[in-house]
Amino acid sequence: MKFQIPIGPQHPALKEPISLRMTVEGEVIVDADIRLGYNHRGVEKVAEEKNWTQNLYLSERICGICSHSHSTCYVQGVEKLMDIAPPPRGMYIRYLVSELERVHSHLLWLGVAGHEAGFDSFFMYTWRDREVVMDLLEMITGNRVHYAINAVGGVRRDLDDLQKAKVLEGVKILRERSVYYFRIGASEPSFVARIAGVGVLPLEKAVALCAVGPTARASGWARDVRKEDPYAVYGELEFDVPTADTCDVLGRVVVRVKELLESYKLIEQMIHKLPEGPIAAKVPRKAKPGEVVSRYEAPRGENLHYIKSNGTDKPERLKVRAPTLANYPATVEMLRSGFIADIPLIFAAIDPCICCAERAVVLTSARSGEESIVRLGDLRRQALERHQKAPLKRNAVWPF
Amino acid sequence: MRIAAFLPELLRSLFKKPNTVDYPFKKLAVPEGFRGTPHLDPDMCIVCRACERDCPAEAIEITAVNEAEKRFRMVIHNDRCIHCGQCVDSCPTVPKAMRIDSLFEIADDSRHKMKEDWVYVRAVIKPKAPAPAPAGESPNA
Repeated sequence: MKFQIPIGPQHPALKEPISLRMTVEGEVIVDADIRLGYNHRGVEKVAEEKNWTQNLYLSERICGICSHSHSTCYVQGVEKLMDIAPPPRGMYIRYLVSELERVHSHLLWLGVAGHEAGFDSFFMYTWRDREVVMDLLEMITGNRVHYAINAVGGVRRDLDDLQKAKVLEGVKILRERSVYYFRIGASEPSFVARIAGVGVLPLEKAVALCAVGPTARASGWARDVRKEDPYAVYGELEFDVPTADTCDVLGRVVVRVKELLESYKLIEQMIHKLPEGPIAAKVPRKAKPGEVVSRYEAPRGENLHYIKSNGTDKPERLKVRAPTLANYPATVEMLRSGFIADIPLIFAAIDPCICCAERAVVLTSARSGEESIVRLGDLRRQALERHQKAPLKRNAVWPF
Repeated sequence: MRIAAFLPELLRSLFKKPNTVDYPFKKLAVPEGFRGTPHLDPDMCIVCRACERDCPAEAIEITAVNEAEKRFRMVIHNDRCIHCGQCVDSCPTVPKAMRIDSLFEIADDSRHKMKEDWVYVRAVIKPKAPAPAPAGESPNA
């Protein structure tokens, strides 16, 4: 007998609102349906009303964890449209912050994975060590979360020798800790038993469903924009693309820890190779008419911004394809034939950023299945009406 | 594989100081480049409106109080400010008319109390970088 159980939009296992409807047979999930649209903010529409500089900060606010990814992806596209090349020192600083962000994002995810697998001390320790990289980011950019280091044509802040030394020192501590976590992950039998064989995504499915980032790499598909289509400074640096062939959550943990080690390598190379010179180029206020697609390897996978310019100081269209959106079809596949208890773990394993992926809201009637588009004002009026009509709970009393 | 591989780390941490500080009583210093609240130095402002135009949150508002006297009013809506510091970057004067402080405890119980405004006469200073908006206001520019 089949049941449908709703997980979300508000659920203790989820950090952000999303609706997962699971069709289950006993404990086993036979089908999953992901419904989006609970966190829609209209970022793309707002972007059309703001100029190139203002949109830099708007695109940064698409996501909290990978804020620099979106901002860099956007600024890469704008620079291509304006046909300007940022000076090499600016580029190195920009992608140094990128790699530091990847480190903080992966450490954050490792903690979340530990938490979802019931290994809360792992969560506490990784997050404690994450503070090292957060402090480095704060020192370089002035802020912990929204770094605002990008400017069209370069970066806004320079690095001095003291900061360089501190970054190297921080990376040393982080590497030591990451190697330790890698060992713990491999030798703690309860943790391995919890995550091995959960959320299986075979290679052919990963390819067919266009998975991106660590999700694809954990299925043995070495897909990384930094390697395949080296943008900016990545062509000059040496690093590997780690993969795993276990195709499960264990593989995703392994890939991310290995990626951490690769990121440390990249950070050290960037600090040592940091060229002298200016950090930003002068830029025009208006971009030439044209369109551009910018690709960027965010911590969660390939990030894609499509920017269309009509020759003014504002974009005509900004389309954001966040990596989480690309991973949703694969998530449905992973959830199939899993257990209900594995849902939070499998879902957390793609490192979902739900508000990144919210692009449009289509309301579907729960009874008839009819789809409709409603204005925000109407939605608000409906909600107020329903609230006023709702019967008062007069008999509810405080039990003490 | 062994059971409780994490145990030595846990035991070691038992005798360590906590990693956090008692926040309201003990505060960590903010880094040098921290972006706090923006302020205006009215003596330096040439009313080029570069900050107003580039502010992503539309938190800066410049209005003319008296056009003939070249008297202007700038309001910074700190309730809307996202503390990006773009106003400081966009400011063309040397030294900059916009500056950003390093305070971080800036919460208030009402958003209307978070406004800050200045009424001032436009400064006549030759901007070092070419300011885009103003035309012909400085006699020796």
